[in-house]
Amino acid sequence: MAESTVLTVSDLTVTYRGRGRTVAAVKDVTLSIAAGRCLGLVGESGSGKSTIGAAVQGIIPADGSAHATGGISIAGRDLVPITDQAWSQVRGRDVTSVFQDPMRSLDPTMTIGRMLNRYTGSAEASVAALERVQIRRAGDVLKKYPHQLSGGMRQRVMIALALAPQPLLLVADEPTTALDVSVQAEVLSVLRESIEGAGCAVLFVTHDLGVARHMCDEIAVMKDGVVVETGSAEQVIGEPADDYTQRLMASRITLATDRARPVGAPEPAVVASMQDMLDDLGRPDDAVASAWAAGELLWNRFTGPTAAVGAASGLSDVRLVEHVTRPSLTVNEVDKTYTARVRGRKVGNHVLKNVSFEIGYREAVALVGESGSGKSTLLRIAAGIETPDSGSVDSQGVAGEGTQVIFQDAGASLTPWRTVEELLRERIEHTTTGKGLSRAEMRAMALRTLELVGLDESVLGARPTQLSGGQQQRVAIARAVVVPPSVLLCDEPTSALDVSVACSVLNLINLLRHSLGISVMFVTHDLAAARLIADRVLVMTGGEIVETVGAADLAQDITTDYGRRLVDAVLA
Amino acid sequence: MLYSPKRTLKRLERPASDRPEGAWSALGFGEKLSLVAVAATVLIALVGPALMPYSAIIPAGEQLLPPLSPGHVLGTDVLGMDMATRLVAGMQRSLFAALVVTLISAAIGTLIGVVAGFRGGWIDTALMRFTDLFLAFPAMIIAMAIAAAIGQSLGSAMIGIVVVWWPLYARLVRGEVRRVAALPHVQAARVAGVTGWRLLWRHVVPAVMPTVVVTASLDIGAVVMTLAALSFIGLGTPAPAPELGRMASDGMKYFLNAWWIAVLPSLAIGLLAFVFNYAGDALRVVLRRTGV
Repeated sequence: MAESTVLTVSDLTVTYRGRGRTVAAVKDVTLSIAAGRCLGLVGESGSGKSTIGAAVQGIIPADGSAHATGGISIAGRDLVPITDQAWSQVRGRDVTSVFQDPMRSLDPTMTIGRMLNRYTGSAEASVAALERVQIRRAGDVLKKYPHQLSGGMRQRVMIALALAPQPLLLVADEPTTALDVSVQAEVLSVLRESIEGAGCAVLFVTHDLGVARHMCDEIAVMKDGVVVETGSAEQVIGEPADDYTQRLMASRITLATDRARPVGAPEPAVVASMQDMLDDLGRPDDAVASAWAAGELLWNRFTGPTAAVGAASGLSDVRLVEHVTRPSLTVNEVDKTYTARVRGRKVGNHVLKNVSFEIGYREAVALVGESGSGKSTLLRIAAGIETPDSGSVDSQGVAGEGTQVIFQDAGASLTPWRTVEELLRERIEHTTTGKGLSRAEMRAMALRTLELVGLDESVLGARPTQLSGGQQQRVAIARAVVVPPSVLLCDEPTSALDVSVACSVLNLINLLRHSLGISVMFVTHDLAAARLIADRVLVMTGGEIVETVGAADLAQDITTDYGRRLVDAVLA
Repeated sequence: MLYSPKRTLKRLERPASDRPEGAWSALGFGEKLSLVAVAATVLIALVGPALMPYSAIIPAGEQLLPPLSPGHVLGTDVLGMDMATRLVAGMQRSLFAALVVTLISAAIGTLIGVVAGFRGGWIDTALMRFTDLFLAFPAMIIAMAIAAAIGQSLGSAMIGIVVVWWPLYARLVRGEVRRVAALPHVQAARVAGVTGWRLLWRHVVPAVMPTVVVTASLDIGAVVMTLAALSFIGLGTPAPAPELGRMASDGMKYFLNAWWIAVLPSLAIGLLAFVFNYAGDALRVVLRRTGV
C-alpha cells in the first residue's frame, strides 16, 4: 500500500496575507491518495478545498501573498516549499488537471489536434485518446477549435488532454459544475472510466455530495480549512459521523425529499420563531399591511379558517372569488426569435415556439429545462424585461402588483452603492400600495419584510457589497416581496449558492408563497429543487413545453423521453 | 412550512465584510506621494503669489539677473521682473484655467454622453454624429482658429480648448452608460419599477462618475500643456501678464545669453502636467481597488 501512495499531504497549512491581515485558508490538513483511487474533497465555498487543489498542483501565488507549510509529496518527491524549479518538473507531467471552465483552460488559438499531438506525438494516437473519452468522429474534432465544441465536448477534450501525459495524479476541480445536468452525468461516467483505464490517483474537488458519491472511493469533508471527516464514500455518505457532514447531507435535495416539510434539519427553536412570525402576519396592525391582509384573507377563506384578518383588504366577496378563479399569470402563445448577423447573413434563433400556460392563484409552477431550452427567455418576457414577437403575457392579482423577479446572481442584481433600506424603499415607492407613505411607514414595512426573510435591522444601513452571498439573496427576495407581487418569478435563485444556503432559500420561497398569497414561477435546471417548490412542473426543451407533470410523484409520473433523461440525471 | 432558517443562517453565514479602516492608510507609498505633490503644487499656486515680495508685472530689479542672485532666487527677466514671482503667478493662472476648462468640458461631455447613451435611438445617433463633427478635425487647429477668431485673451484660449475637449468625454461617457445600463442591477431596478431619470441618476450615473473623475484628473495636465501651447504661439494671455507658455515663448529670443527666462517656465509647465498625470494614475488605481 505504502509504495503505491501517489500523493501525500501532511499537516498542510496555507495562509493568505492581504492588507495587514493573515487568513489561514487551509489548516493542518493531512491526506493521501493511492494509485488508481479517487479522493473526493467536499465542502462549501470558503472551506479551503480549492486551495488544496491548487497547492497540490503548485499553483499557489509565489509573490509572497500566500504561504504554505507542511508537506506535499508526489511519488516520494517533496514539493514544499513551493518553488517553480521543483514544480516545473512535475506540473503538466506527473500532475495534470481538469478545471470547471474548459473554455478558459483550452487555448483558443489552437486546434484540438495541435494541443493533443504535443503529448501523444501523432494524429493516430490523438484520435485514440479522444475515442477513450467517447468522442465519436474524433478525426473531425481534432481539426476544430475549442469555441466550435459544446461544453460537454470541451470538457471531454480537457479530460483527454489531462490524461494524455499519463500523469500520476489528476486534479479535477468542479469539472462538471458548469454543465447541464444530463451532460454532467455523461461527462462524469466518461471521467470515471478514463481514470480507471489510466490508473492514476485522482483528487476530485466538488461542492456536491451526490457527485462525490458517484465518483469517489474515499471522501474528505472540509469546513473552514479543516478536514472534519474522512472515510470511504459509502461510510461518509451513508453514516456521516460528523455534525457538519450530517447537516450537509440533510441539505441535499433529491427526488425523494419530503415536500411537506422544510428541507434541512430545523431545530425546535427555529420552528417556534417561525410560528411567531406567522402569528404576526395574521395580525396586520395598519393600512400599510392591507396588501398582505388581502392575501391572508383569501388564503384563510379558501383553505380553512384560521385567525380572522378582518376586512382590511376592502374587497367584496365577489371580487375575491373572481381573483381566486382567475389565473395569476397567463402566457398566451408567446413566440420569440433572436436574430443575429453572422458574416452578413441573418441567422434566426427560434427560442420560444408558441408557448402557452397558466399559473393559478397561489399556485407554484416550475419550468425545468437545460440551457437553451428558452426557460429564462420566458421568465424575462413574463417579467416585462423583454417583449415577445407575438402572443401575450397577462399578470394580475388582488394581493399583488404584477410580477417581481428573483435573479440568479443576487449580488449583481443589487445596486452596489445603494443601501438595503434605499433599495427596499425604492421598490415600495414605485407601487400603488406604497404611494403616499411616509418614510417611517416605508421603513417599518421594509423592516417587517427583512425579518420575514430572516434578516434584521442591522442590514438596513448596509450596502450589498458588505453582505454575504446568502444575505444578498435574502435582500433581493425582500425587495421582490416587500410589496407582494401576484407572481414571484424565480430565475435559478439557488444555483449559485452553497447547498445549506440554497436549502434555506428554497424554504424561504416556500414560506413566502404560503404566507403572502403569491403565485410562483420557478425557473431551474434542477428537477429536485423544482419538485420541492412547485405544484406542477413544466418540462421545456427547444423552446417548447414538452410535458406537464404533477410535482409530488414526479419520478414516476414523467413520461416523455426527455423528461426521463432529466430524472435519470438527478444523482441519487 | 413552519420553519425559519433565520437562526441556522446566522450561524452559517459570514458577517458583513469589514470596511477599510481609512482611505489614507489604504494607499500605497507612490499614491500618497502623488497626492502630497498635487497638494503642494496647488498650495504654491494658490497662496504663492500673495506671499511674494514683488509684483508679477512691474520690474523689480536689475535686468537679466541670473538665478541665485541676491533678492531674486530665480533671477529676473529682460525687463527686470522677478522670475520666481512671475512663475508662481503663471502657475496659478495656468492651473485655474486648466481646472475650469476640464470641469466645463467634462460637464458638457458627460451631459451629452449620458443623454445619448441612456436614451439611445435617434437621439443617440444625432448627438454622436454632432460629437463626431468636432472629433473629425485636428483639435489644435480648431482651438487655434476659435481662439484667434474671438481675440487674444486667456478666455478665448479657454473657450477654444473647451470646444475641442468635450467630445472626448461625450464618447467616453456614452460608452460607459451603455455598459452600465446593461448590468443586472439596472435591470433589477427596472423590474422593481424604477424608470426614467431616477433610474439613470440612482443606478447608472454613480458607476460612470469614477471614470469621468479619473479621466478629468489625467486631463488637467494635458490641458495645461495645450493652454501653454496656445499662448506660446501668441493666442493666450497678452503680455505682460504672467502666463507660462507666453513667458517661454518670449524667453526664446534671449535663450543663448539668458537661458532661464525660457527654461524655467517650461519646467513649471512640465511639473504641473506631470504631477496631475501621476495623481490621476494613482486615483485610477485606488478607485479600481475599491471596486466602484
